[in-house]
Amino acid sequence: MINEEKVILMTRMASYEEGKGKRDIRIMHYFRGDFIGFQMLKSIIAVTVAFLAVFAAYVFYNFEPLMQEVYKMDLMAFGKNVITLYLCVAGGYSVISYAVYAHKYSKAKKGLRTYFANLKRLVGMYDK
Amino acid sequence: MTTLFVAKQYIKGFISKYEVYLKPLLKLVLALTALMIINGKIGYMHRLDSISIVLILALMCSFMPMNFIIFVAAAFVVMHMYTLGLECAALTLILFLVLFLLYFRFSPKDTIVVLLTPLGFMIGIPYAVPLVMGLVGTPVSAISVGCGVIVMYFINYMAEIAPAVSGMDEGDMAGKFRFIIDGFMDRKEMLLLIAAFAVTIIVVYLIRRLSIDYAWTIAIISGALVDVMILLVGDLSFDMEISIAGLIVGTIFSVAIAKLVELFAFHLDYSRTEKVQFEDDEYYYYVKAVPKITVAAPSRTVKKINASRRRPSGSGQAHR
Repeated sequence: MINEEKVILMTRMASYEEGKGKRDIRIMHYFRGDFIGFQMLKSIIAVTVAFLAVFAAYVFYNFEPLMQEVYKMDLMAFGKNVITLYLCVAGGYSVISYAVYAHKYSKAKKGLRTYFANLKRLVGMYDK
Repeated sequence: MTTLFVAKQYIKGFISKYEVYLKPLLKLVLALTALMIINGKIGYMHRLDSISIVLILALMCSFMPMNFIIFVAAAFVVMHMYTLGLECAALTLILFLVLFLLYFRFSPKDTIVVLLTPLGFMIGIPYAVPLVMGLVGTPVSAISVGCGVIVMYFINYMAEIAPAVSGMDEGDMAGKFRFIIDGFMDRKEMLLLIAAFAVTIIVVYLIRRLSIDYAWTIAIISGALVDVMILLVGDLSFDMEISIAGLIVGTIFSVAIAKLVELFAFHLDYSRTEKVQFEDDEYYYYVKAVPKITVAAPSRTVKKINASRRRPSGSGQAHR
């Protein structure tokens, strides 16, 4: 005889496993620190590539004035300014990344906690 | 109103039943429209400007994730720009690279808005985009809509200046590059639209979350008014050429679209039919979970006022 309550519970769990659960389980394979750290590393790589692309566009835009002044200008100060700007952009982006991925991790944890509670209920049904 | 709700239930039922076919069809239509519009606006590479290529790519998109359409459309734009000039392609690539790397990492679900915003402009309903995104999205959607506005203006701008860029000296790449950036940065209308749309999305979002009666309707109307006001003030302050009649008619039309979206999105009770498989010790289960239809077809009650006196009882009311 089919237990209807069990089927409903299992359907909900299977639906979660195939949808959001897949992502949540993948996230929960990591410790919190590892997950956020790994995502922040990816963010830093992304922001570095984007910064280099924009910087290249800036250099190309100001190509003539830069070429004319390249011997007169203080290259150290210029480099310092560019690095400071990069650090500010990368720092700001990293803070945003941290907030976003910390939130994602806690959401995944909450989803999986509900899933395991349902799993416990299901085991209880078998034990009856 | 009941007719509308019945129609809503009918459409929901239809979508639930044929979702397997409707989803790829929707992607196909979206990809086809986007690629044809791109070809129509900036179709400089003749190899890409052919219906067979567009059809093949659109068919490919219909079986891929939604965000794949964005990548194909972006690649299409870059390749057309490459025909116009290396510097144009480089600039376009940088623009897309920054968008994809910095923003879409966080909200891959919102990526499609970047495509829908320019499409909204092309089909003449730009003001519907912030209203709808305020209803179904979050304040973060303002960034996606902003990116969409930038992409739309960039494509339009490149289409406008293409003859001038082609006529410039081939060797003066830096000059061309400066010419394109200077002209693009001078588009105050674009900045005004981004600001207006962002404020509209936030206003609509905040009001529709309030626990007041008719919150969604109030949100739509307030959002539309805020949008119109910001654009009119911007038009007067920066002396831009925004068509006031077009703005008002477009906003009224957008409010109607937003109301239609409200009808389908309000209560958020729409859940798709789900097919799942699992097993226990005794059975294999193949379950198809279908969402309940909550509004039944209306029943009519006919009340007879001048009932016949010959029949003493039971003829006062009749139900059909």
